[in-house]
Amino acid sequence: MKPPKISIDNLYVTYPGRKRAEPVEALGGVTLTVTRGELVCIVGPSGCGKTTLLRVLAGLEQATGGSAHIQHDNSARPVKAMVFQGSGVFPWMTVAENVAYGLRLQGVSRQERAEMARHWIAEIGLERFAQSYPAQLSGGMQQRVGLARAFACDPEVLLMDEPFGALDAQTRLILQQVLLRQWERDAKTVVFVTHSIEEALTLGDRIYLMSARPGRLLHEVAVPFARPRDAIALRSDPRFSQLFAEIWELLRDEVERARLAEELTE
Amino acid sequence: MPKNRWLSFVSPLLLLALWELAVQAGWLNRVFYPPPSTVFVTMGELLATGQLAQEVGVSLMRIGLGFLLGGVPAIVVGLLMGISPPFRALFQPIAAAIYPVPKIALLPLIIVVLGLGESSKIVTIAISIFFLIVLNVAASVLQVEARHFEVARSFGAKPWDLFWTVALPASLPGIMNSIKLGMGFALTLIVGVEFVGADSGIGWLIWRSYELYAIDRMIAGLVAVALVGWLISVLLDELERLLVPWQRPGARPPGRSIRRRLLLWWRAVRPWSYTAAVIPVVLGGSIAAYDSNLNLGLLALTLLGASAIQAGTNLVNDYYDYRRGADRPDAPGTNAALLRGELTPRQILRGGLVAFGLGAAIGLYLVSVAGMFILWLGLLGMLVGFFYTAGPFALAYNALGELAVFIFMGPVIVIGSYYVQAQAVPLAVVLAALPVGCLVAAILHANNLRDLEHDRQVGKYTLATLLGRGRGNIEYYLLIGGTYLSLIVTVLLGIAPWLTLISIATLPPALRLVRIVAAAREPGALQPVLRQTAQLHLQFGLLLIVGWVGAALVAGMV
Ligand SMILES: Nc1ncnc2c1ncn2[C@@H]1O[C@H](COP(=O)(O)OP(=O)(O)OP(=O)(O)O)[C@@H](O)[C@H]1O
Ligand SMILES: [Mg+2]
Repeated sequence: MKPPKISIDNLYVTYPGRKRAEPVEALGGVTLTVTRGELVCIVGPSGCGKTTLLRVLAGLEQATGGSAHIQHDNSARPVKAMVFQGSGVFPWMTVAENVAYGLRLQGVSRQERAEMARHWIAEIGLERFAQSYPAQLSGGMQQRVGLARAFACDPEVLLMDEPFGALDAQTRLILQQVLLRQWERDAKTVVFVTHSIEEALTLGDRIYLMSARPGRLLHEVAVPFARPRDAIALRSDPRFSQLFAEIWELLRDEVERARLAEELTE
Repeated sequence: MPKNRWLSFVSPLLLLALWELAVQAGWLNRVFYPPPSTVFVTMGELLATGQLAQEVGVSLMRIGLGFLLGGVPAIVVGLLMGISPPFRALFQPIAAAIYPVPKIALLPLIIVVLGLGESSKIVTIAISIFFLIVLNVAASVLQVEARHFEVARSFGAKPWDLFWTVALPASLPGIMNSIKLGMGFALTLIVGVEFVGADSGIGWLIWRSYELYAIDRMIAGLVAVALVGWLISVLLDELERLLVPWQRPGARPPGRSIRRRLLLWWRAVRPWSYTAAVIPVVLGGSIAAYDSNLNLGLLALTLLGASAIQAGTNLVNDYYDYRRGADRPDAPGTNAALLRGELTPRQILRGGLVAFGLGAAIGLYLVSVAGMFILWLGLLGMLVGFFYTAGPFALAYNALGELAVFIFMGPVIVIGSYYVQAQAVPLAVVLAALPVGCLVAAILHANNLRDLEHDRQVGKYTLATLLGRGRGNIEYYLLIGGTYLSLIVTVLLGIAPWLTLISIATLPPALRLVRIVAAAREPGALQPVLRQTAQLHLQFGLLLIVGWVGAALVAGMV
């Protein structure tokens, strides 16, 4: 049997405190596995370490304890790409250059790059802005560019940090569809961080709920809805509102605790 | 347009008027406070004698060399310091310690080591801007947001990629800024340096005038410094717009990468049209080599200056053609970048002005070396270049294009280039330039023949539209015939060496061109004629140059 695609084992991350500040324990022992082709959502209160978890998986942060590992299956494809919270587009590149960035690092030819970039720019509906610089786009449009950039390099694992957080409800729905379609088509493994319980229920196979900082996994919720899903029809499913209420119940205390902790530190 | 803009024009004028009034009314002593009118006249005199151009040219040369010597390494070291912590640890203390030393204080030390010559001045500039630029560039690399590097790394960027795709572009605005700072610094400094141990340069002019109590000349020098400073800052702003387009809100980028953008401009200035300017410049140099001596450095500068002016002419022409609507998408020879919207008309115009500025800077230096004649020639050339399609009486639209091109791309350039080398204008050189003039006029005429119908539609007058197809063809034959005839005559008169007759080797393609023109029934058939006439100009010109240089070598050996 193949090892799981992503395995995180008792992961601890502590940010060293600068100057006189206390060290911050962001993750306090997280253990989870993701199998191939699974779309896992992570929901938790603000500041609980969701971004930290993705950063460890992206290789941008060192674990202070435990381990995190992604299995690389096909060395011709990049193993992972991250969609950053707040897009992280490069201001000195045009939209097309931004979208093609990962491909460029892989050494894909200029022509092929342009081809792929065009496809993904069309997919996120920014054809008219292909040659614009990010400064000329709205925040939501920039977020979409970050999304296309990750999709374009066709990674095995997509790490998505609240990718739709800054979007209006309609665009959000459209892009959720894009993600679902793409995911169903080529069986990517996706770790999707979101604040929205509805979004997690719409997209995920499983949902992990995290505690307030230091982040731990509180619960694991299996989402029972059949694929392919229709984002609209789901809302009228009685199980949808029932699950929503359950998850909210579980999270509410944690959100309260996170807010209290923030007030105390101030 | 901002409502209060006129105020910023009026306030300096008002100040000048007050000053003038105060002196004329006798409130201020005119010996100590020469009125603007006097300064104006003095500036005119300094310009007319060529002294101002010469001193400014010398100072600019010192700044330019100082920048090459200090600024270029400073950018490299600054980037390294920003990127590599060990390198930073090594250099930061040294740079930070030396930076605040007033660099003019180093001048005596540098003079002790290098003497009073040019090198001490250039090195002072170089050292001063070096530390300024190093620290600023390093700081701008360090200010690049960490998340940009993280994004790049998450996509698997190697250190090399991090440098080229993140560190360098993200710190380009900072680098541009430090270059601007350094340039301002260098200007202040050069004046001070020239106060002390110099016998030329704009600072020397100011100091010398002070010593002679010629306050009006002193102020004229100050005004010149201010103007030069302003011009340089305008040029640097343009460069910044070109290199850092993403900081401009609203505007769409002209191209994709920096390389593409450069390529776009390269195409926009139509470099293949330069042979028309390059051939006569080199020809002038070759004739000088035959007559006396050739300074290759001066020839190279002349070439660069002529190319810059040619580029400026092309761009300004494109701009005005576009504005008049003379060039339409279906019209041949239109600036493609402009039509495709890759460059805006404003950018084209600005690019043209920048090119003219570069040409003018080089020209000023040549004036300082060779004398005023070059200034008048250059000004005239620029004027003709500008009014070729611009202004109410555009030469090209009033059937004067061939004549202007014949004179200016032929004899005038050859004489200018010759004059830079030899400081003389013998009639022989004018005559020796005639074949090239004929050929360049033939290129333009081939173009006008091809565009005859189109030009008639848009109401553009050229010799071709006036003469019509039949007589227009005859003009073409005359120009081609004149080329070879004038060559043979100059050789027979003993003006040109026998060796230049090798240019006659190009007669077969020339005759073929004449046959094509005679047989052409529709504009499309003339398409190759334009290109091949330009080729003929190039081949004939090169052989002519070979003839002159060969004769010079033979004469040198005997
Ligand atoms: N570089 C850092 N240095 C010190 N502390 C940090 C650093 N990055 C994050 N933290 C802290 O670690 C905790 C977890 O941060 P993280 O960004 O992972 O939260 P998050 O769950 O993504 O929050 P949000 O939902 O608001 O994006 C926070 O309390 C934050 O203040
Ligand atoms: Mg986060």
